Amino acid sequence: MTILSGLLRGMISGATPILLAALGGSFTFYAGVFNIAMEGMMLTGAFFAVLGSYYSGSWLVGVLLAVLGSLLLALIFILFAVVLKTDEFVTGIALNLFAVGATTYLLRQIFQVKGVFTHPGIHPIPEIHIPLVEDIPFLGQFLSGQNLIVYVAVLATLISFYIIFRTPFGLRLRAAGYNPACLVSSGVPTNHIRAYSLLICGVLCGLAGAFLSLGYVNLFSENMSAGRGWISLAAIILVNGNPLGLALISLLFGLSDGLGLLLQSYQVPAQFTSMVPYLATLVALFFYARRGRRKKRFEVI
Amino acid sequence: MIQKSINGILGIFTALLIGAVMMLAQGFDPLATYQSLFDFSLFRSSSLATTLKNAVPLVLTGLSASMAFASGVINLGQPGQLLIGALFVTLGGLYIDLPPILMIPFLVLMAMFGGALWAGLAALMRRAFNMSEFIVTLMLNMIADFFTLWAITNPLKDESAFSAMTPPITRSGWLHEIGAFNPSILIMLAAVAGMWFVFNRWNAGYEWRITGQNSLFARLGGCKVDRNFVSIMLVTGALAGLAGGMVVMAGPHRFLRGLGANYAWDGVMIAIVANSGLIATLLYGLFFSIFQTGALGMELITNVPSEIIVVLQAVTVLVIVASREYLNITLDRLAAKRRARERF
Repeated sequence: MTILSGLLRGMISGATPILLAALGGSFTFYAGVFNIAMEGMMLTGAFFAVLGSYYSGSWLVGVLLAVLGSLLLALIFILFAVVLKTDEFVTGIALNLFAVGATTYLLRQIFQVKGVFTHPGIHPIPEIHIPLVEDIPFLGQFLSGQNLIVYVAVLATLISFYIIFRTPFGLRLRAAGYNPACLVSSGVPTNHIRAYSLLICGVLCGLAGAFLSLGYVNLFSENMSAGRGWISLAAIILVNGNPLGLALISLLFGLSDGLGLLLQSYQVPAQFTSMVPYLATLVALFFYARRGRRKKRFEVI
Repeated sequence: MIQKSINGILGIFTALLIGAVMMLAQGFDPLATYQSLFDFSLFRSSSLATTLKNAVPLVLTGLSASMAFASGVINLGQPGQLLIGALFVTLGGLYIDLPPILMIPFLVLMAMFGGALWAGLAALMRRAFNMSEFIVTLMLNMIADFFTLWAITNPLKDESAFSAMTPPITRSGWLHEIGAFNPSILIMLAAVAGMWFVFNRWNAGYEWRITGQNSLFARLGGCKVDRNFVSIMLVTGALAGLAGGMVVMAGPHRFLRGLGANYAWDGVMIAIVANSGLIATLLYGLFFSIFQTGALGMELITNVPSEIIVVLQAVTVLVIVASREYLNITLDRLAAKRRARERF
């Protein structure tokens, strides 16, 4: 029982950063921006979250700074990819590396450490205990007592779904990706929609980063996003950006994260258990590709 | 050509300027910093040789990325391929001992084989299961990272060492400096020349380039696009693996933790700035190496953390690429305006 609940708890906390980043990416995905900067935005968010939390003593300031830092990266992305029309792929790669460099540089400059910064003065994001739900047998321990950001992620999923599929803005957003010329001819500048989508992505990735450094663990280490941005990109490709699908697939990746931790207690070397999420991504891609191929075959018939 | 060079120089200059502003904002002296940077990478005795040696993995991974991008293949697996190449060299150097004249070519082949193997895995997944090579190579990077880390902490670990590393490879596999210069520089130049020859003089290279520019046209023209995809993956993987091999053979002579550093991602950036041109890749690779080699000296003399170089590199890339593309758009727009005026 404890194994199972440990696994499920690990699943939820492993899924949260991937889900938040993937939701951000789904906005840009629908807007027709090939955005691969989620990794960098998350990393920047994680750093600024620690910075804010450490200096102000309040996790709220940390989260706010995380969002601002991530937004800064989104603004640079907008400047280059949307305004100056630089290739989105190039901008994304350069920004990801910029984020790695800038956070390591600032880590050294501000905290005078290399590698990892951990300090009791970093205030984590609190866990939320919901009074009555807490007492539900078995389920209560998952529904209550989770990190605040976990609930935010659940809310963000529903809100994203609503915004993308049920509001005029969502319609424009999808039109920007589906048929930009049509959107422009009806009087909405595609560039504005794309810029908005990137800003939303910045906010969500900032939250994901804040969860990484103030929720998942309580420290900042160099390159701590560790490919989660890429996994979220894979998730977006797998479910074509649908927020509800993203929630499911993130849980799956979260499960592999939890599974890795579980395997570690069975004497499997840590290096192999750390591989599990990436292997899971490959497996997921494999099934996706097979489904795509079958679909193609139907189309031919 | 002239436009390209102007663009590059302007981009570098702008990036240095932005860097200077950043340093000023933190109370460092930018002029002294840059002076020590270039002093330590170019003008000191033997610093030029170090810069060239450090350029080897950058140029080779850059070459790998350039070849892939120019052929329309999104191989972003250089970091993983580099590590596996390095691992294969280490394996070869630990368990096989030949006289240097045979050992060095053997290890070079091992490095290329390792990289090609890892890239071939991604190519196989693409060909057999139709999985996008973009995500697959990225995931394989992480897997290679953990796999090599496991290899050097468990089966291959040097028991006398404090941290995770293998014992040194056999001495006959070492690339010793000739004068001040390391022979790996020659291997790098040979790789650049060879790839240039393949790309510009061989049928295969022509097919690859055409596929990169317009894969439909290439297929209609009779190129075997799918088979070419596999060969490009193998060749670019071999190049990245070679980079890893050179790092081991010329540098620490063993596989230690963090060996790959950021070489491969820098290589991808170099390919991007160079717009997938092979000669440009060589030049930008050398330039990045100047930055990185000088960074340590800079830190010693001026207290500016060497990590600022990573930021400068990213800024350089963004500025150069953005100004290049914006310039093209502006030129196109001007041409369109002129044409419109002629018509009416």
